[in-house]
Amino acid sequence: MDIRLLDYQSTSAAGVDIGALRQSIDTQTSGLRKNDMPGSDLTTWIGRVPGVEDINLGDWQSRNNALAHLGYQQGTIATHVENLKSSLGSQRLGIVMGSSTSSIDRTEAAYRHLEDGALSLPYRQPLVHNPHAPSLYMAHLTGITGPALTINTACSSSAKVFATGARWLRAGIVDAVLVGGVDTLCLSVLHGFDSLQLVSPNQCRPLDQHRDGINLGEASGFAILVRAGDGYADSGIRLLGYGESSDAHHMSHPHPDGLGARLAMQQALTRAQLRPEQIDYINLHGTSSRANDLIEGQLIGKLFPKSTQVSSTKAWMGHTLGAAGITEALIAVDALQRGVIPGSLNLAELDHELDLSVQADNITRDMHYVLSNSFGFGGNNCCLVFGSVA
Amino acid sequence: MSEFNFSVLGIGAWGLTARSWPELQELMAGKPIEDDGSKGPKPALIPANERRRAPLPVRLAVETSAQACAAAKLDPAEVGCVFVSGLGDTALTDYMCTVLASDNKALSPTKFHNSVHNAAAGYWTISTGCTEAANSVAGFDESVSLTLVEALIQAEEEQRPLLMTFYDAPVSAVLQPLLKNPYPFSVSLVIAPESLSPAGSPVWSASVMTEAATWPSANWPGELQDCYQSNPVARVLCILDMLTGGLDSVTMPLSSATAVTVTRVS
Repeated sequence: MDIRLLDYQSTSAAGVDIGALRQSIDTQTSGLRKNDMPGSDLTTWIGRVPGVEDINLGDWQSRNNALAHLGYQQGTIATHVENLKSSLGSQRLGIVMGSSTSSIDRTEAAYRHLEDGALSLPYRQPLVHNPHAPSLYMAHLTGITGPALTINTACSSSAKVFATGARWLRAGIVDAVLVGGVDTLCLSVLHGFDSLQLVSPNQCRPLDQHRDGINLGEASGFAILVRAGDGYADSGIRLLGYGESSDAHHMSHPHPDGLGARLAMQQALTRAQLRPEQIDYINLHGTSSRANDLIEGQLIGKLFPKSTQVSSTKAWMGHTLGAAGITEALIAVDALQRGVIPGSLNLAELDHELDLSVQADNITRDMHYVLSNSFGFGGNNCCLVFGSVA
Repeated sequence: MSEFNFSVLGIGAWGLTARSWPELQELMAGKPIEDDGSKGPKPALIPANERRRAPLPVRLAVETSAQACAAAKLDPAEVGCVFVSGLGDTALTDYMCTVLASDNKALSPTKFHNSVHNAAAGYWTISTGCTEAANSVAGFDESVSLTLVEALIQAEEEQRPLLMTFYDAPVSAVLQPLLKNPYPFSVSLVIAPESLSPAGSPVWSASVMTEAATWPSANWPGELQDCYQSNPVARVLCILDMLTGGLDSVTMPLSSATAVTVTRVS
């Protein structure tokens, strides 16, 4: 494939920009805190991004849009988009956003403020109360006037944006794509995952023998994709492959043998023309649930050699759902860029049924190829492969 | 300008009083069909105990997807898919937001996992044993054109047939003033790149252009007109009109500054 990352940015509880995230990783400092979401009394830890509630977007107001807004202001993403609009025309740029909550946080708030069973005035926002809200807002914010699509495939949402963005570029319907993901803490996700008995009262411990559930978080992340031959001074990171598959098993339980996960990883490697032993690092889906980590870990143990280092980074910012795909893809990309593999934070004793190259501490190592896994509800899987330009 | 040549292998439909693509064609032609009183389809593909709990948008999407694959004579397990709902499952949104605004915030686990936007694609792949890529997207007013382009690009790149399913259910009371739609409506199309078109079947060409467009004005008989205007996925009617010979070509907005035009090639 011939797709390059021009720029990237990530905002989560572990850092409001990529520089802050690096610092959190280097010092192994988690952004998780005890649940303090207004209106929720669940005993758990969450990855809440401070300051989101101070952003006022008027007619576009929602926590989700505010977090997208905050993330887009970081680093040089917006500057790159402005330059591309000038050189290409705003209609030759596309937007592909991934989310699961979209702006359901605002709909929840609207229901808390109904007047005689009807929406009160500040909440009459048709462009917010619908699942396409993240892309509608990003088109408004950026002034991009090309196609804008929202992918809502639960936790694989913002991994799949890279696949769709790459296809759009190769098909020539646009000349650059802003891909992104944004998902926000709200009562739906906190109490929804609690109803499935998946939420831990403790800080999550992915892959650990004594892990007891997930922590939820929120994040936004962006990357700009361009064709390699178009001559941009890019980040030197290539999107080499992607794999997309379905488990065909259950709405909320992963396939017991990791069928769809295996298909996604194999497809991504085939597309990238790489063998498993060439992969230096895998950022796992690794949610810290009993089932997910066991199935994914056993599968990786079968498919990859010990020279492939793995970790889950969910103990830094929690499981950011529809934003997890891009958050973790960018952590993998940044690991490649810096030569620093984040450890699997909070890992004390590896699950006795797993045999993997994983440790809690960070590792410094030169790398060529990294992989990022995202598996979602409905058995929707996506795997991404990135490489550095040789 | 980017062009994609394709053929249509099969169509499925469920909406208003139509229970199949032939019946929707009758409604489009102004021939009324008596209402059978059903509130939604009961797709046989979904096992009975699951079907009882499956939300209306899921049942709409699975029913028309099954019809389209059957018409295309393809095993659904081997067809990738793109599903789109413009408005989401507002009945479940209403349930969740009502519970969460109350003192007891205990949600039904089944209703929570059914509330994900990809529930329809999930039920479809689970019911058919399909392990292919399943995309689930949203595009609000541009749901139909964006999904068509997404599916065409994927079919062309993979050189395989692709299922696309457009579905939206009536909007719940609280959001009704904003999102309008009172009609259940679903249409599925199985498309194939030109290289896989059956001999003698019509070939269509879709072009993406950098120019603004509006949705074609139409004067559909009966409630179809209101449905076309209020249900974002019913905009697919303008494509269906072209496929059945009512229009030579159709131009649809893709974004504020781009459009997609579909015309017959052969």
